[in-house]
Amino acid sequence: MSKSYLDAGETHCAIGHPKSVFWQWMLTIDHKRIGLMYAAVIFTFFFVAVFVALTMRIELFAPGAQILDGDTFNQAFTLHGVIMIFLFIIPGVPAVFGNIVMPLMIGAKDVSFPRLNWFTFWLYIFGALVALSSLWTGNGFADTGWTFYAPYSLNTNTNVITTLVAAFILGMASILTGLNFLVTIHRLRAPGMDFFKMPLFVWGIYATAWIQLLATPVVGITLVLAILEKFFGIGIFDPSKGGDPVLFEHLFWIYSHPAVYLMILPAFGIMSEIIPTFSRREIFGYRTIALSSASIAGIGYLVWGHHLFTSGMSDLAKTVFSFLTFFVAIPTGIKFYDWVATMYKGQIHLTTPMLWALGTMVTFVIGGLTGVTIAMIGADIHLQDTYYSVAHFHYAMLGGVVFLLFAGLHYWFPLMFGRIYNETHAKIAFWLNFIGFNILWFPMFIAGYQGMPRRYFDYLPEFQIYHQISFFGALIFITGLIMMFTVLIRAIKNGEKVGPNHWNATTLEWHLPTSPPPLENHTKVPYVDFRPYEYHHGEPVVKFNYETMQRID
Amino acid sequence: MDTNKIDYAKEKVGYYKVLGGLLLLTTLTFIQPHMFLEHYTFTVQIMIGATKAWIILMYYMHMKGETLIGWTVVFAVSLVVFFFTVVIPDVNHFQFKEESHITSQAHIEVDYGHHTASHEE
Amino acid sequence: MSHEYVPEIATSRDGKQHEVQGWQGDFYGGKLGFWLFMLTEVMMFGAMFLVLTYYYSLHQQDFIDASSHLNRLLGGTNTVVLLISALTMGLGLLRMRTGDVKGAKLMIYATIILAIIFLGIKAVEWREEFEHGVFLGLDALQSGNEHSRPFGQILFYGMYFTMTGLHGFHIIIGIGLMIWLLKRINAGKVTTEHHILHFNIALYWDLVHLIWVFVFPYYYMIGAGSGH
Repeated sequence: MSKSYLDAGETHCAIGHPKSVFWQWMLTIDHKRIGLMYAAVIFTFFFVAVFVALTMRIELFAPGAQILDGDTFNQAFTLHGVIMIFLFIIPGVPAVFGNIVMPLMIGAKDVSFPRLNWFTFWLYIFGALVALSSLWTGNGFADTGWTFYAPYSLNTNTNVITTLVAAFILGMASILTGLNFLVTIHRLRAPGMDFFKMPLFVWGIYATAWIQLLATPVVGITLVLAILEKFFGIGIFDPSKGGDPVLFEHLFWIYSHPAVYLMILPAFGIMSEIIPTFSRREIFGYRTIALSSASIAGIGYLVWGHHLFTSGMSDLAKTVFSFLTFFVAIPTGIKFYDWVATMYKGQIHLTTPMLWALGTMVTFVIGGLTGVTIAMIGADIHLQDTYYSVAHFHYAMLGGVVFLLFAGLHYWFPLMFGRIYNETHAKIAFWLNFIGFNILWFPMFIAGYQGMPRRYFDYLPEFQIYHQISFFGALIFITGLIMMFTVLIRAIKNGEKVGPNHWNATTLEWHLPTSPPPLENHTKVPYVDFRPYEYHHGEPVVKFNYETMQRID
Repeated sequence: MDTNKIDYAKEKVGYYKVLGGLLLLTTLTFIQPHMFLEHYTFTVQIMIGATKAWIILMYYMHMKGETLIGWTVVFAVSLVVFFFTVVIPDVNHFQFKEESHITSQAHIEVDYGHHTASHEE
Repeated sequence: MSHEYVPEIATSRDGKQHEVQGWQGDFYGGKLGFWLFMLTEVMMFGAMFLVLTYYYSLHQQDFIDASSHLNRLLGGTNTVVLLISALTMGLGLLRMRTGDVKGAKLMIYATIILAIIFLGIKAVEWREEFEHGVFLGLDALQSGNEHSRPFGQILFYGMYFTMTGLHGFHIIIGIGLMIWLLKRINAGKVTTEHHILHFNIALYWDLVHLIWVFVFPYYYMIGAGSGH
């Protein structure tokens, strides 16, 4: 029986050659196993944060205090934000699919620095543990919001410093992942695969890696400066010494805005993989999608000021940022048009991954367009820090990034495990998620427009109806989430076995000799003289002999 | 394994030339505030620094022979320059500059030769 | 790593053979990876210079006054020390690449000694400032007491200690890296044929020098005309 990367003993380790299965997982440097471990950990944290959110929704069902007091509520939304952003969505697609799929897509045997990859995973775990430890020490988890604005973050006595240290460590892990992927994509592409023959998911990971590398250090040093301010009083964020809290906002958002592009670009990469496969057609506008990823990565560094419209920035700065923010929406729009054009006159297969991708098209368009609304300075003065913002970014992050992450789970599941899940159950789970999501978040646009502020523990009775509808949506959504994960986890052990190219797709990760893949990936590295999405009458053009990896079409 | 053949003597001479250039620029740094362009000390100092940095990058760090790496450095430095270009003018045109506790300093005519002896050493 | 790796060959449809770049033994990859890491340092110190410039633009006179009180003799000596250490580091790498491993090690020792001298001089400087009452946590840099300096000076000194401190921290790391490098050379793991580690540590040292090239004039020289 041929061996797969999941079999005992079939792995390379950072130290030695352990015999026990446990240590083989703990020390593995195989990108596929590391990606799986990231998946297991980040989804665990995801559910913790979802339940924190559910607790907040329960509290907000009616005005006044029910199960939480004001201070605890502040800690709850901080915890929710810190876990979702730093522990879940920023590692997110790169850590899971960047690791598992990207090297396979370029015909590589691993990433450029596999031992660094192993170290990075454990650095991430360490950072996560530091963050969570602050729940049980001192005055409990930080209550500043995940944005840690000065001067409150320097004056509060909750565990802000611990969380800042954790965020720094997690940031380092993100930087090292980006670095590893950049070198991998530059150095380890199969012979013949130039940049414009790479699958679009790899373009997404590449653009993301540039943001991981260059933006994260800025927040890293901001956190260090905040720590120094707290312990040594250096003065830069302390108004009593002339320090300026708006400077903190600038520094914080110089990272945190590119960070959202870091989240969405790999997700868009997943969309670009799923759409051609289930339209049975070559993607429309390959080059424009590729270049749009690169330009979003670049322009995304220039728009952070739109988070500071109400901070007292000069009129010129506000205008420049507003203009650039409108401008950065254009490449994303181009992608959407290209995807729709790909589907036009294609043979659409409504499999679960395709359903998730199409659902995302609806929710992300809402998320993206509502972002453009608040890019207008005049509108933002009214809508900043209301539920409108909250609905906007959840539609974009949850309805964009996370939905596509789920789409990727369903798409690459047969690749990772050699099995398929129950399609019907998976589709029901999708609908529960999609319907629940919209009932949960859409009312918040209206509530925010009417004036419901974000991060507020209590509210006027006129807003109650929106919170109640949202709560109802949350219940459906969480049911959908639980169902989806149950379907997938069950299928890991009991799913029907399938071959290496279950979807009959074209990109290299589907041209492996066994399902699940062998440790060393492709039997031989192929010579790539073909485009990534060549279909002819709905069938892939390129065919391989899997022993020699020579083309036989 | 890097593929260039090294001419030890030639490289060594190059390194010493760079050292000489850098020492010269350092001397310039010390004499400038007393000798020339005294009213533009800040700008001149930063420009001398940038010249030294350029020489170090090109010749000590061998960026001169690199294409991809050169562009990545250009990209990163451009981003930093953009941040400066936006944030520094912005803080000087803060919307509430007059009322703010932090920014309501009268704009003093900068005098590089002026020494305020209002505090003890 | 660097042992027994045989690169694969991929054959194209016209029969031509193409060598596959593996992750092992990739010198250029190691170089590229380290340059990318150094870019993160550029972003970090760039952000700190942004903070410094932010407050300089609001408090120019205070900054010049504060700068005039720094010890230019010690700071300048350190500049020359670091400059020479960059040379010794470069010469060390050159010797390694041309087969003179013994000579390379001597140069690394020289660089370490110069680095320690740098730190020593910095310690003297900081102690001098402490004795003048200008230090983190002391009255001069707090607000609201009789010794409080004006805003601009507090911010100047706050960033001075931060940036020279972080720069010194990077020097300490550099010394650690050089000691490790010596061990790897002695263990035969870093050789003339496989010297990417030495190459990258030399680049690191150049970066440390580069940062000082901007730190020194910005802090020490802008107030130099004040006749202190």
